[in-house]
Amino acid sequence: MSNLRDTFYLASGYAAGFCIALIMVVILMQIVGRLFGFIIPSAEDVSGYALAASTFFGLAYTFHEGGHIRVTLVIQKWPARARFVQELAVLILGLGLASFMTFYSWHMVWESYVFEEVSHGYIPIPLWIPQIPVGLGTLALTIAILDDLIAVLRKRVPSYQQHENDINLEQI
Amino acid sequence: MDTTLLSIALAASMILMLAFGVWVSLTLVGIGILGLLLSGNEQVGLLFATSSWGASTGWSLTALPMFIWMGEVLFRTRLSEDLFKGLSPWMSGLPGKLLHVNILSCGIFAAVSGSSAATAATIGRMTLPELKAQGYSDRMAVGTLAGSGTLGLLIPPSIILIVYGVAAEVSIGRLFIAGALPGLMLVTMFMGYTMVWAVLNKDEMPKHKNEHISFSAKIKALRMLLPIVGLIVFVLGSIYAGFTTPTEAAALGVFGALLLAAITGSLNAHSFKESLLGAVKSSCMIGLILVGAHFLTLSMGFLGIPRELAEWIGSMSLSPFELLVCLTALFVILGCFLDGISVVVLTVAVVMPMVQQAGIDLLWFGIFIVLVVEMAQITPPVGFNLFVIQALTGKDILYVARAALPFFLLIMAALLLIGWFPEIVTYLPQTMSRG
Repeated sequence: MSNLRDTFYLASGYAAGFCIALIMVVILMQIVGRLFGFIIPSAEDVSGYALAASTFFGLAYTFHEGGHIRVTLVIQKWPARARFVQELAVLILGLGLASFMTFYSWHMVWESYVFEEVSHGYIPIPLWIPQIPVGLGTLALTIAILDDLIAVLRKRVPSYQQHENDINLEQI
Repeated sequence: MDTTLLSIALAASMILMLAFGVWVSLTLVGIGILGLLLSGNEQVGLLFATSSWGASTGWSLTALPMFIWMGEVLFRTRLSEDLFKGLSPWMSGLPGKLLHVNILSCGIFAAVSGSSAATAATIGRMTLPELKAQGYSDRMAVGTLAGSGTLGLLIPPSIILIVYGVAAEVSIGRLFIAGALPGLMLVTMFMGYTMVWAVLNKDEMPKHKNEHISFSAKIKALRMLLPIVGLIVFVLGSIYAGFTTPTEAAALGVFGALLLAAITGSLNAHSFKESLLGAVKSSCMIGLILVGAHFLTLSMGFLGIPRELAEWIGSMSLSPFELLVCLTALFVILGCFLDGISVVVLTVAVVMPMVQQAGIDLLWFGIFIVLVVEMAQITPPVGFNLFVIQALTGKDILYVARAALPFFLLIMAALLLIGWFPEIVTYLPQTMSRG
């Protein structure tokens, strides 16, 4: 069970990482293309879509690793009992918001599919294809929050809290 | 419900959610939903989906993960060691000696990294033990690091300037170039202060005499700086000359950083994966905050809050100077509790209309806001640089904050300087080839 979990979060991280690497490759190809006089069609569109994909694919991994920032200044000194109620409330609210995001992301995918929306670039790309990562990513975030909600209900420390004390170096 | 009451209710619920430990990005989405519901809008979900799709696919935003990744790659190389070895022979003649290495290496690393916490951590790891071993004042070593670590925000490439540029619709290339001169000015001010301090406090400097370092040894040391200086000139030069957009320069920068890491032997499958996952973590966090902020901006636009606020401020007929003083106070207070990026995205939507109405240049305002956030980085209780240095040295946060106080005041002086002489900010962008 814990193996499956680790695979799930790592897959989220690597999928996002792959998209970031893809952005670099596409942009480099565009630069080389400009030097040698050929055009990489829809390079700006593709890197924009890869950016969205990397942001949303990585949500679950980042959540699990405690990467999404929050203010812990007020709550950190609270007694354990109050903290339990607070974490529970925050996770339930988070679950609600993530479900909202998931539902409407898939709604957007479905609408783009039905109305056959395409990108305005060089190649008309059907928009529902690059929008699928948004739906998958928000769904994965919802699962990640649910996972931690169950952990808190079982009186375990949620995953994000285990990492919250390390400093995320790139955090501004 | 009238707008004043509505704004107060929304602001109060936002503070409540943030204080209660709800993630910043989810708070923004939540308040956005609340605002739209209160305005009687029935398309909340659809508006969220379209606004988040628009916010996450922007071309200029693609520079963000690139520059973050570049910093992560260089963080895992021997760069900080090379900087130390390359710079120290040159600094031995100045009063303050190796303290200047702290400032200059932070300045140089800031030019390849977009974040101040990464700058302070990378440089401090190398310089702090060395300075301590040689008998420099602890307080000054910590202070110079805390102060010059904040240069990461201002000296391009800068993550926070990308965020500001996207939120305020200002050209990121021009913002980067605008940050260069104020950044150099701050480096000079920090070094000047350190020299004066060193002359006044001779007893807190190491006692041993100057050993003479031959000129050829100095030149040899300089060679260690070549790769990184080359990378900086390449990335920033190509933006300034108009050869590439900031996004393209960022992609080239990552490529260059990977190449550098490969040549110096610090690139392997493990460090590559680690750097990529590190980049995912930061860019995902920032990405979701931007998505939330975009949605909240939309929602507040429906309620007309920014417009009313701008009119209200306009009716008080504040001079631009008075307005800036009020905004500085607001940002420093917010910065005591929130990180720099959150401060920028939260306020830009509300503040931009009134700034524009007061006739303040948005490019100049971007540099202004970054300087203010730099000050917030080294003020307790929440200053990310203080946290980083606390973790590095084991000193408590108030000690670090006290050590950083002179540098806080110097940044404030820099703020006044760019107020009196806005050309410090605007001169270079005006001479740029294209924006």
